Amino acid sequence: MIQLYRVTKYYDGVPALRNVSFTIDKGEFVFITGPSGAGKTTLLKIIFCAEHADEGQIILQGMNTFRLKSSSIPYLRRNIGFVFQDYKLLPHKTVFDNIALALKVVGTPYGEIGRRVYQILKNVGMQDKRHLTPPKLSGGEQQKVAVARALVNEPQILLADEPTGNLDPQSAQEVFRLFRDINMKGTTVLVATHDWETVKKMQRRIITMERGVVTDEGIPSYLKSSRLHSRKPEEDVSGTVPREGEP
Amino acid sequence: MRGYGLFYFVTEAFNGLRANSLVNLLAVGTISMAMLIVSFFLIVFFNVQSTVSRLGERLEMSVYLKDGLTQHEKDFLFSRIKAELGVKKATYLSKADALSLFKKELQGQEALIQGLGENPLPDSFELTIDRRFAESEQLEALSKKIAGYPGVEDVSYGKQNAEIVSALYKLLIYGGTALAILLGVSVVFIISNSVRLALYSRGQEIELMQWIGATRGFIQGPFLIEGTLLAMLGTALAVGILAAFYYAIPTEVVRFLSRPNGLDFLPLSVVAYMIVAGSILGFIGGLVSVSKFLD
Repeated sequence: MIQLYRVTKYYDGVPALRNVSFTIDKGEFVFITGPSGAGKTTLLKIIFCAEHADEGQIILQGMNTFRLKSSSIPYLRRNIGFVFQDYKLLPHKTVFDNIALALKVVGTPYGEIGRRVYQILKNVGMQDKRHLTPPKLSGGEQQKVAVARALVNEPQILLADEPTGNLDPQSAQEVFRLFRDINMKGTTVLVATHDWETVKKMQRRIITMERGVVTDEGIPSYLKSSRLHSRKPEEDVSGTVPREGEP
Repeated sequence: MRGYGLFYFVTEAFNGLRANSLVNLLAVGTISMAMLIVSFFLIVFFNVQSTVSRLGERLEMSVYLKDGLTQHEKDFLFSRIKAELGVKKATYLSKADALSLFKKELQGQEALIQGLGENPLPDSFELTIDRRFAESEQLEALSKKIAGYPGVEDVSYGKQNAEIVSALYKLLIYGGTALAILLGVSVVFIISNSVRLALYSRGQEIELMQWIGATRGFIQGPFLIEGTLLAMLGTALAVGILAAFYYAIPTEVVRFLSRPNGLDFLPLSVVAYMIVAGSILGFIGGLVSVSKFLD
């Protein structure tokens, strides 16, 4: 689903990512962790084609993103939902309109929009607040709306950049519960976070980064037998050795 | 763009116009001022053009004949001159007719011509020149050619008149084109700036649309229509203001100020062309700023 091979990115000559390689299979739930400045956001932006890597290859849903024309990028993004730390909701539009925009952008017929927006809001428990504007919602509620917007087009991949960074623990838990449910339905989920507690609780595959390098990558030992996450660490293309017994 | 076409773009454009109403009102005002200058110039242009055309139609040439030509020689010369390129109409004026015409013109001052004795006026051919030959160089060439025919004493035409007509034509065409280009560029500049303001105020929305998979065309569409609508409104307002002034001023005053021919308002077809041209300029202005913003 997502393959990175020796991806390197520089900002003004300073490397933000160095030789990053890994593969994420369809339906996987993966965390990217690491301190601020580790390169998590840059990595997600490169996968999303918002930034270009200076070296290396990225294969996304079978397509080499280096060979994509800029006019094809919007179509690639329609298969990827993105959740931001600061929600990126339009403050003057209602919850309904914020989500409807994502449907309009892909050309969903007008008649279908109302039904689909209501359905996705119901899934995240926000259907009663559809007529409110984002400033009237709590941080957790806004992030739920942002998740709903990311999912309304039923993407195959969901990327989230510090989705709980601005949330209280209870709201953060609710957002991660949504991610888990989405993943259970088959969507590949890649979450960049430094919320180590949640990462441990979720018990999923973890890619650890530091200063633009993958320092650790693998699945905690207690998950290795799980059928859901059966990918073996030795298949990794990153070349890093996963540490046994450590999440 | 399944399900989304012009209707969506127009709706979004109107939403955008409403959202930035103050900026857009200023833009419409500025555009209308520029277009007011254009329309005023066009009124002057069309009126001067029709005056020049009338002057052109009145371009005449007199061919004076030598005394003592036989009727046969006169007929031959007449048919030869009439066949010249640029001669629209030719009439023969005998010396007797010329004198009676002269007397008629000097009615009330007959004393001036008493004592002339024998009729001093020659026989002549009075020519009306085709408008297409109103250029002073062409008239000069024609008069020289006719003056060279045997039996022709002299040729005279309103040389000064012809030169004025010719210069006015050139001024109208070159000056008008230069002014039109200048004002066109100004309109594009004004519109691209107001669309740019709208773009900046909706930068967050545009960035988000890019992130959720909007194509360039989907983002551009409403802004292009916004630019087109702004220019269309500005142009219509300018024509409206000018028409209000034109019709508010009493006809007698207009006639007095624009003697001898009066002043006509712009033909309806020109107003329609202006609105179309304004809209195209608006579209270009929108395109310039959206392209810069998205690149």
